[in-house]
Amino acid sequence: MHSLVLFAHPQHDSFCAALHRRVLDRLQARAWPIDSLDLNAVGFDPVLSATERRDYHDEAVNVEPVRDYVERLRAAEALILVFPVWVFGFPAILKGFFDRVCLPGVAFRLENGRVVPNLLNIRTLVAVTTYGGSRWRAIAVGDPPRRVVTGSVRFYCQPDTTRYLALYDMNRADQARRARFLERVGHAIDTL
Amino acid sequence: MRTLLIYCHPDPESFTAAVRDEVITGLERAQAEIRLRDLYAEEFQPILGRDEFRNYREIDANRAHIGTDCQDIAWCDSLIFIYPTWWYGMPAMLKGWMDRVLVPGIAFHMPDAHRRSIRPAMHHVRRLAVFTTCGASRLVTTLVGAPGKRTLLRGLRPLCHPRSRVTFAAHYLMDSSSPQSRRRHLELVAAKLSRWSRGG
Repeated sequence: MHSLVLFAHPQHDSFCAALHRRVLDRLQARAWPIDSLDLNAVGFDPVLSATERRDYHDEAVNVEPVRDYVERLRAAEALILVFPVWVFGFPAILKGFFDRVCLPGVAFRLENGRVVPNLLNIRTLVAVTTYGGSRWRAIAVGDPPRRVVTGSVRFYCQPDTTRYLALYDMNRADQARRARFLERVGHAIDTL
Repeated sequence: MRTLLIYCHPDPESFTAAVRDEVITGLERAQAEIRLRDLYAEEFQPILGRDEFRNYREIDANRAHIGTDCQDIAWCDSLIFIYPTWWYGMPAMLKGWMDRVLVPGIAFHMPDAHRRSIRPAMHHVRRLAVFTTCGASRLVTTLVGAPGKRTLLRGLRPLCHPRSRVTFAAHYLMDSSSPQSRRRHLELVAAKLSRWSRGG
C-alpha cells in the first residue's frame, strides 16, 4: 500500500524521530512503497499567503503553489502522520500543510453547498504522536489534534482503517514506557 | 488596561481586519493601552526549528529569538486573539507564534521533582478574548470540537489568572455572509468587548 509519511519534528535525535524511524522500518519490512515527507527537512512553508487566500475556493488555480504536495497526497493509499503535540495542537509546520495543501478540490469538494469527501484514495489513516501533558489534561482541553485527525481528516478520507496512537505525559515517560510505545507503534504498522 | 492584540490574517481587506479595527476602536474608547502585533505584516517566522527546540527548556536561552514577544507577554494584563479559523483551528502563522513564544518561563513552568504537572506563569493576564470567523457552521464546528477556540480558552486560559475574564465571538458560515450579517457581527464584537473591558 503506497504510504505517504508526514513527519513534523525538527530534531533528529528526539523520541518523535525514533517513532518516525520505527514507522519507516516497519513499512519497509512489509514492502509498502514509502513516500517520506519530512516537513522541516524540505523547508515546507506553512504560511498561507494573501494570494492563496484569495484563490482558495477557485479549484482551477488554488493547487498551483503546492502542486507537488497535492500530487503526493493524491497518490497515497495510506496517510501516516508522525508529530509532537505542541500547545495542544499540531506544530505550525503541520497545521500549515492542512491550511495550504488540503484545499477545496483536494481534501473536499463543495457540491450544492455541501462538503463532500475527496481524499477517497486514502484507505488507511494513522497518526503517531506524543503529548507533554497527561491524557486528562488533553481531554480537559478537548484534545484538538485527536479530534481533527479522527474527525475531519477521517471524514475527508473515509478510510477503512483509522488508528490514533498517542503517548501522553511524555515529559515524565521513562525508558520502559517509551520502549513499550515504540513496540505498540511497530505492532500497529505490522498489523494494518 | 494593557492589551496585547495578536492579529493574524494575510489580507488587509478581509473581514477579520474589520473586526480588528472594531476592537481597536473599542479599546481606545476604554482608554486601554494597546500593543498590536500583525503577524503577517511583520512576516513573523512561525516554525519552531531545531536550534530553538534544543533550547526550549532553558530559561533565558529559550527566549533568545523571541525577546520582544516575551516582553509583550510580560507587559500585558489582557490578551486578544483575532484570526480566521482554517481547518478548525488557528492559521499556522498564529499556531507558530504560540509554539515559539509560549515557552517555559514565559507561559508556564515545567514539571519538576516536586510537581507532576506544568504550572501557570501568566497570572498577570486577567483578561482573554478570542474573535474569529469560521467557514463551517456552528454545528459542524462544535461537532469537530471547536479546536481553535478550545486551544485558547481551555488550553491557554489555565495559564492565566485563575479568575481571568473571557469573551469569545465567531462569525460562522463566513463564505455565505452578507453585509447585514457582518454588520451584526461587528456590533456583537463591540458589545462583548465593552462588557469584557469594563469588568474586573
